[in-house]
Amino acid sequence: MENRPLSPHIQIYKWHISSLVSISHRITGIINFFAITLICIWFAFMLLGESEYQTIKIFLESFLGKFILIGITWSFSFQMLSEIRHLIMDLGYGFELQTTKITGLLVIFGSIFLTILVYIFGRGVI
Amino acid sequence: MVQLSLPKNSEIKKGKYFKDKTGSKNLRKVNIYRWDPSTDEGPRIDTYEVDMDNCPSKVLDILNKIKNEIDSTITYRRSCAHGVCGSCAMNIGGKNGLACTTPHAEIEGDIDIYPLPHLKVKKDLIGDLDGLYKQYQSIEPWLKNNSTKETTEIYQSKEDRAKLDGAYECIMCACCSTSCPSYWWNGDKYLGPAVLLQAYRWIIDSRDEERKARLKKVADELKLYRCHTILNCTNACPKGLNPAKAIAEIKKMLATANV
Repeated sequence: MENRPLSPHIQIYKWHISSLVSISHRITGIINFFAITLICIWFAFMLLGESEYQTIKIFLESFLGKFILIGITWSFSFQMLSEIRHLIMDLGYGFELQTTKITGLLVIFGSIFLTILVYIFGRGVI
Repeated sequence: MVQLSLPKNSEIKKGKYFKDKTGSKNLRKVNIYRWDPSTDEGPRIDTYEVDMDNCPSKVLDILNKIKNEIDSTITYRRSCAHGVCGSCAMNIGGKNGLACTTPHAEIEGDIDIYPLPHLKVKKDLIGDLDGLYKQYQSIEPWLKNNSTKETTEIYQSKEDRAKLDGAYECIMCACCSTSCPSYWWNGDKYLGPAVLLQAYRWIIDSRDEERKARLKKVADELKLYRCHTILNCTNACPKGLNPAKAIAEIKKMLATANV
């Protein structure tokens, strides 16, 4: 009796938009935790003076630095949109299957769109 | 606890391969989870080649065909074959559903059939649902009314009756609860979508007088708030019900009412 196997679960279960958005919400939450730490360090370096600020500026302008910054922008955008989706759901709306698919897609594409938007404005393209 | 891999005794091996003997040209491969409690071997996946020219449209028809014509040892639960009893709930093509109402034409490629996820397997496609039934019992799913005599009718307006639509149709097949990652990791404490939908059904019944006590009972960090709106439940429900919405309504009632 005790030796009964456990049936497979996450290994076999099919992903769909809502479950993907839900797990990404958690992952971006963890990323944002570290991102805020990074931003704090950035500010601390600013306070320390020009030469220290130069150090972190060089790092942020490197390929890795840019990748991290774009990543953080996306992760914040995603978390924000997904949180709005959760807020609406907490009010009891948007639970119809079709609606959850649409709002899920809005979160995914919206986060990419917001990231691009931030860079268009930030770089002064417009 | 979150546990992403299967324990050692649950690892799945490749099993037997049943080649087609009918000579049919319209064949489909069906992979089925097998585990026999009378042997010491672990679970395996057996593959069957099934002649689709002589097979009706549902996944349960495939299972019946295999049991009748290819391998009589395969074990699964079924009864009504019309999506009313909930016996043949299983994981088909990566999604929970009733074998008797799922058309095999909707599944692309080989058909993978597993028992409902994250349950102790009794044999082949039969999972142990005792834990879920105990939780169902814990919400006391019966009418509690102390002010009226047992012999008198309790009236209910059409509007109040309409509130039960979408909740009373549940057949307790467990497709939703066993599709829920929160229920996988915390199934011993979290009540899961099926039981919470039923809790909701009794909370909103206008004839029931224990509304507050019922709400108080589910208002628990683990019993209720482990729902993170992943929505696997609503996606899985073969009756088209919405357990996720019912859970959200319970949360809303708790947030707005004085309990």
